Amino acid sequence: MSFFNVYLPVAGMQFNVLLLLLIGFTVGVCGGFFGIGGAWIVTPALNIFGFPMPYAIGTDLAHMGGKSIVATIRHGKFGNVDIRLGVSMIVGTTLGMELGARLVMRLERMGLAESVIRKIYIVFLLLIGSYVLYDYISHVRRQNKIAENGGSAPVNEETFAMKLQRIKIPPIVQFKTAGITCSVWLPILVGFATGVVASVLGVGGGFIRMPALIYLCGCNTLVAVGTDLFEVMVTGAYGAFTYGVKGRVELIAAMWMLVGAAIGAQMGTVAVKYVRGYSIRLLFAVTIFIACASVLMKQLKLQTAASVLILSAGIIISSVIIGWLIKGITNELSARKSGGAKKI
Amino acid sequence: MKQGIRRYLTNKFSLVSRWIFATLVAATLISSEALAAGGGKPATKLINVADTRAMGTGFAKMIADIYNSNLWLYGLTVVIVMAAMGAILGFAFDRLVIMLGIDLGKLEHHE
Repeated sequence: MSFFNVYLPVAGMQFNVLLLLLIGFTVGVCGGFFGIGGAWIVTPALNIFGFPMPYAIGTDLAHMGGKSIVATIRHGKFGNVDIRLGVSMIVGTTLGMELGARLVMRLERMGLAESVIRKIYIVFLLLIGSYVLYDYISHVRRQNKIAENGGSAPVNEETFAMKLQRIKIPPIVQFKTAGITCSVWLPILVGFATGVVASVLGVGGGFIRMPALIYLCGCNTLVAVGTDLFEVMVTGAYGAFTYGVKGRVELIAAMWMLVGAAIGAQMGTVAVKYVRGYSIRLLFAVTIFIACASVLMKQLKLQTAASVLILSAGIIISSVIIGWLIKGITNELSARKSGGAKKI
Repeated sequence: MKQGIRRYLTNKFSLVSRWIFATLVAATLISSEALAAGGGKPATKLINVADTRAMGTGFAKMIADIYNSNLWLYGLTVVIVMAAMGAILGFAFDRLVIMLGIDLGKLEHHE
């Protein structure tokens, strides 16, 4: 196994290349599929295998920027990226992250940062996971009702996002790819809110922005995934630069991880072609609950167990996604002969 | 034929330029956060030197030398290398997936 070791000059250690490829691949699949950066998988995974923590975050951000380019290119070609919506969100996210950072400084000065932030993190993850799961269960019940009524769909209820879209504060912008027309302040404010939360929690925020795009802006799941990846690409690039200047990026490790992530991101991104939006949401809810369990374990001082949980979960989740991908490709190639492929 | 090629190149260029513009705008907005972060505590300075004594010549040695000499250049190198690798690998694997015969056109957005 030492044959696969590579010397990392910045971190000052030997590290197994196969591990870097595996971590990158796992996060690439999840990132391309859910539209998230995956820092909450990478950082503990690197650390558990001996990677120094000061470099884990910066190295992750560096590889995340590159991986998101791969996934955004593919999602862009699928027609899942609304650039106008992404830029509007980034305006808000930038301001929100700045406010969040200052809130954290204030909490630190009051001596409350550690105790408050982790609790907020757990509550937030529980809320997001629960709501997404509740939404999936409601959808399944609606589908069952439609089947019982002999195929006639009930009148769609107005969602919260639709109510927000009706608030017409100029300028009104048409976000073509997302298929929504609303005040530009809606994505800016949603981005601002998610930026504050992400900054306070010390995360990239992909797992907050993706459901926010669906439930607050009214995007469908695939456009939310693609547009979120566009934002992750930009914030990853900024993070790579700022951590690089601080000397906290191990570029050689990031490059190896990016090779694995590029393969994984392609697979995760192509998998969305064969999966319905609500199936993506269900798996996303499961992922959020696992992340919540991991943070809870860290709160209970079970650091190693938390890292093992998150890495194992990442591998299992990416296996499920790859399974869907293989099934979808097999269906597509065989359906070409008979006509009409079915989505999972 | 010439008209068609010209129209194709114009469309391609305008799409690429829109992407580049959007990314530059977004990057500028994100970077402005760093400049406006005067309210935060200054970061602790990490003093670290990459050990190049046992390294031969090659890319890794070059990266380590940049790290040791100029961190601003190192930061820039990180972004350029990651962006270039991401773009090259993205297009390369895109071609590979297309060669497998999978239809990668625009998706219908079904929930």
